[in-house]
Amino acid sequence: MLVLTRRQGESVMVGDEVVITVLEVRGEVIRLGIQAPRSVQVHREEVYKELQRANREAALATDVTSEDVARAVANLLGNSPTAAGIGGGLAAGRGDTRKAEDSSESE
Amino acid sequence: LTEPDGELPIIEFVTPMPGFPEHRRFVLARIEGTELLYALRAVDDPAVRFLVAPPAPFFPAYAPEIDDHSLEMLQVSDPSALLVLLVLSVQDHPEKTTANLLAPIVVDQNSRRAAQVVLAGNELSIRTPLATA
Repeated sequence: MLVLTRRQGESVMVGDEVVITVLEVRGEVIRLGIQAPRSVQVHREEVYKELQRANREAALATDVTSEDVARAVANLLGNSPTAAGIGGGLAAGRGDTRKAEDSSESE
Repeated sequence: LTEPDGELPIIEFVTPMPGFPEHRRFVLARIEGTELLYALRAVDDPAVRFLVAPPAPFFPAYAPEIDDHSLEMLQVSDPSALLVLLVLSVQDHPEKTTANLLAPIVVDQNSRRAAQVVLAGNELSIRTPLATA
């Protein structure tokens, strides 16, 4: 790991486009400002790792997109949803006119 | 925007979902028998798939604020064209399904660019039970 010493107000550059500035030092807390190109997402490390783990869990579970599982999940809704599908022609799906009859009808 | 039979519009992640650096191109397909749930599948690897849902029916009060950097990243011209989808995680029992409210998938329906966006603030959970919604 590269180790650099910086004072408040000073920066480091990562590559040509990422600038990390020490904005404020207050006890054990340091505020950083990060300038990065729009294609670069910046995350707190623990959030990123948790997200990685959650995404892998979500994708690798038993066939999450099977109809049976999906129906069981949809039935978790306590009331009959009236929401239509999502728009914009993004999603394909046969049975676009189908109503939400498969969802639970209980309160 | 209707596509010919068998061809789904391709959604392109401008930055990959954490955990899946190899996959940027996905298709979204409604799951038969449900009105609310969709499968988001990687184009080049059908084994990579997520169960996703629009938040409104499950979490009516959910109102994510997408930060400027993410809007720029997606090059959004019309914010009203943004579609928000929650990644659901089905564990051994469907009733234990959780939704990731902290990091929804945001899709620009005009350009079909997408990103998984971590929302500011930390009161939202990556694993919010669906059943208590």
